[in-house]
Amino acid sequence: MEKLVVRYTINGRPHEAYIPPNRTLLEVVRDELRLTGAKEGCGTGDCGACSMIVNGRLVTSCLMLAPQADGAEITTIEGLAQDGQLHPVQQAFIEKGAVQCGFCIPGMILAGKALLDRNPQPSEHDIRDAISGNLCRCTGYTKIVEAISAAAASNGA
Amino acid sequence: MATFTTVGKPITRVEGTHKVTGDSVYAADVQLPGMLHCRLLRSTHAHARITRIDTSKAQALEGVERVVTATEMPKVEARRLSNRGYNLLADDEVVFAGQPIAAVLAEDASVAEEAIELIEVEYEPLPVVLDPIAAMAEGSPLARKPVSDIDRSEARGHVTVNVEEKESGKPSNVASQARFSRGDIEQGFAEADVVVERTWRSAMMHQGYIEPHATVADYDAASGELTLWTATQGQFFVRDQVSSILQIPETKVRVVGLELGGGFGGKISLVQPLIGALARLVGRPVKHVFSRADDLIGATPSPQCVVELKTGMRKDGSLTAIQSKVVYDSGAFPGAPAVVGGILIGGYYNFPNLEIEAFEVLTNKVSVGAIRAPGAHNVTFAIESHMDMMARQLGLDPLDVRMKNAVGKGDEMPSKQKYPSIGMKECLAAIAQSDVWRSRGEPREVDGKRRGTGLAIGGWPGGLQPASAYVELNGDGTIKVVVGANDITGTNTSFAQIAAEELGVPLEMISVTTGDTKTAPFAGMSAGSKTLFTVGRAVKAAAEDARQQLFAIAAERLEANPDDLASAGGAIRVKGSPDKSIPFRRLGGITTGFGALHPPVVGRGAITARQQAPGFTAQACELEVDTDTGEVTLLRWATAQDAGLAINPLSVEGQMQGGSTQGIGIGLWEEMLYDDQGRLLNPGLLDYRMPTALDVPNIETQIVEVPSEDGPYGARGVGEPSIIPGLAAIANAIEDATGARVTEAPLTPERILRAMGKL
Repeated sequence: MEKLVVRYTINGRPHEAYIPPNRTLLEVVRDELRLTGAKEGCGTGDCGACSMIVNGRLVTSCLMLAPQADGAEITTIEGLAQDGQLHPVQQAFIEKGAVQCGFCIPGMILAGKALLDRNPQPSEHDIRDAISGNLCRCTGYTKIVEAISAAAASNGA
Repeated sequence: MATFTTVGKPITRVEGTHKVTGDSVYAADVQLPGMLHCRLLRSTHAHARITRIDTSKAQALEGVERVVTATEMPKVEARRLSNRGYNLLADDEVVFAGQPIAAVLAEDASVAEEAIELIEVEYEPLPVVLDPIAAMAEGSPLARKPVSDIDRSEARGHVTVNVEEKESGKPSNVASQARFSRGDIEQGFAEADVVVERTWRSAMMHQGYIEPHATVADYDAASGELTLWTATQGQFFVRDQVSSILQIPETKVRVVGLELGGGFGGKISLVQPLIGALARLVGRPVKHVFSRADDLIGATPSPQCVVELKTGMRKDGSLTAIQSKVVYDSGAFPGAPAVVGGILIGGYYNFPNLEIEAFEVLTNKVSVGAIRAPGAHNVTFAIESHMDMMARQLGLDPLDVRMKNAVGKGDEMPSKQKYPSIGMKECLAAIAQSDVWRSRGEPREVDGKRRGTGLAIGGWPGGLQPASAYVELNGDGTIKVVVGANDITGTNTSFAQIAAEELGVPLEMISVTTGDTKTAPFAGMSAGSKTLFTVGRAVKAAAEDARQQLFAIAAERLEANPDDLASAGGAIRVKGSPDKSIPFRRLGGITTGFGALHPPVVGRGAITARQQAPGFTAQACELEVDTDTGEVTLLRWATAQDAGLAINPLSVEGQMQGGSTQGIGIGLWEEMLYDDQGRLLNPGLLDYRMPTALDVPNIETQIVEVPSEDGPYGARGVGEPSIIPGLAAIANAIEDATGARVTEAPLTPERILRAMGKL
């Protein structure tokens, strides 16, 4: 299979990879660029563990072919903390006990951030709706909803 | 009651920052130089003889390093093949669809996947046995060759019961059976004013951890040492399995249990011995990550179960008798929780007369393993439905009849073992005060939907296994705690709290590390709700030992009696003389520096637990049923659970909420569906439907604290009970709402409409 070059801006920094065109964005980011925060939980877009923000939209990166995202601005979980300061959603997840095994958490936090970026004061239903594509098996979601809600409140303050 | 400084406080996870920044390392994140990627060819037949395997086309594909079949695997004694772990690659006969037959090792995973398709296998089909009840019948074809020499060491890590299973004499699909009796069963039913008799079915379901199984293995030929980085709840168990299957001494097997993306009983040891064997064979590191389909088809799900149950109650609500036959479908290898199922179904309430039989039956499905409280939700569905049905027929309150018959300390389980201190009644009392239960009204219609409220309890005996820990003083006065238990539920945070409490230092001075199997002191698997219960006790003992050593040194330095010392705020002080003190930093220096006069402070804790601390929970829910479509919407959920003493209430609440939600999934959606040839019909997360954030309400928690005899500070295990009552509570609420009793789980719209007589 003839390889090709893909270029992305990930968390504000340029990256490029030389890859077979059948690779997914998730595979390239994890295996070639070694940003392993995004996880593969299903490979079929059903669990949301691979969520990334691509050109401002939350995507399941296991379903996106790497060349489709060529030239994109991408935010992964590694890019949320700034200068050692956690993003309010990250901070709230720790404080509210919303983190258990942690495997869904990178995707879950990005889903929360994407929501607050477009709707800074979401209702409980808005939050549940926004994370309904992200499966968590440990928490039962209650503390995750509380965390996103608390992050929204701290933003508004 | 004792007051604590750090224990009992809602402390955030010690590893929380790593988990929110993506820095935590899980097994699939490990990448080694020269690493090969492995994919497994899995059987497409549920029961067949393999007549030919041709790997030549796969071997010829560019990027394929090696294609491996059973001929290159270590030879195993025939009697061992009853144990799934020893079946590395199928040799002659396959016994479930999904059983590994060949492994491809390639430069990348997608090449390996492509090569799998090129392997040709010819099968000679054998009779496929799928229904456990039919499989028990005289004359049923055998699902596999007769089993012998069953290794139950893994199952015993989850629950420890003092009953020996009887293994069958003549060839049969019944792998084991247990029988419990008490009193006179005929007399018991004769005394009853109401007798309910039904058959209850619950589906095979998956633990549903979001991280699929993953292992990286590397063999060092020079030293003969095999290292495995893997997703496991029990790294020492993996070590023991790998050692005995691959015949490598335990000193030369290093298992590194990395951050674990959920286990729920399903991640103990599975393909680690195979991946280790492959790495040894090719002399390069080998990585194997399950696809979600691999995990649904070929891991160790929770068993299907059929319960025949007959129970009797007097008009005053007292129970007279229970008779039950509990059948678990074990799949193709033994390992179903028959004994504990038999104990639980007759062990929540005091039945004067009892006759219970429990069976573990082999079929040609993937073999089952542990789940959070293995086997418990299946039998609880039956007994907790009966409690409601009998109360309803007698016009009694469902909570009152439970309270009246609930077991307490000193009462006997069907196995004749006596309960130690337990909190079942206290959980019932707490749920009685929940908003969900207090505000329940008559079943009512709202917007054309029927609303109802339901309640159920669940209990889990818990496991026992020895554990050990070290607590050491560093040169700068900070404290190092080393354990061998894999942290899945926040246990390392709780261990830090315990060490801080015992040493009288701030939490920030403690660092807890889970070592690997070559460096860590032994711990049993993190399963059976026993990590905090056993390893927590070891940490407490090690911290007490370290404190004694510290006090002896401080006493010498401060010219005081050790009994007159107290530790607080990072220094040891003479009570009543505030200016006579020595900080931990100084103690670190004088026990580790050049020419130091005192030996290093190394506390050792090693314990064995002889008595379990069973955990109980009561849960209540309010829901509505669309009587046209059968669809259920959950409105409110409350749970009360006995934690003994909640060392970290934040973690305990998390366990209660997460388990409740898994129970909801079992209740409403989760079911592994097989075709008539034993092939899984829903091997993906779109069709194997787990609860999303939109499916569940907020879970309200109430922690109950009835101290256990043996747990640290009275704590008891909290991981498992929370998954148990959900299914039954929903079934009871559905009957409350609609008058219809559904006897098969999950409680799907179709089954609800059928029970309502609408289909």
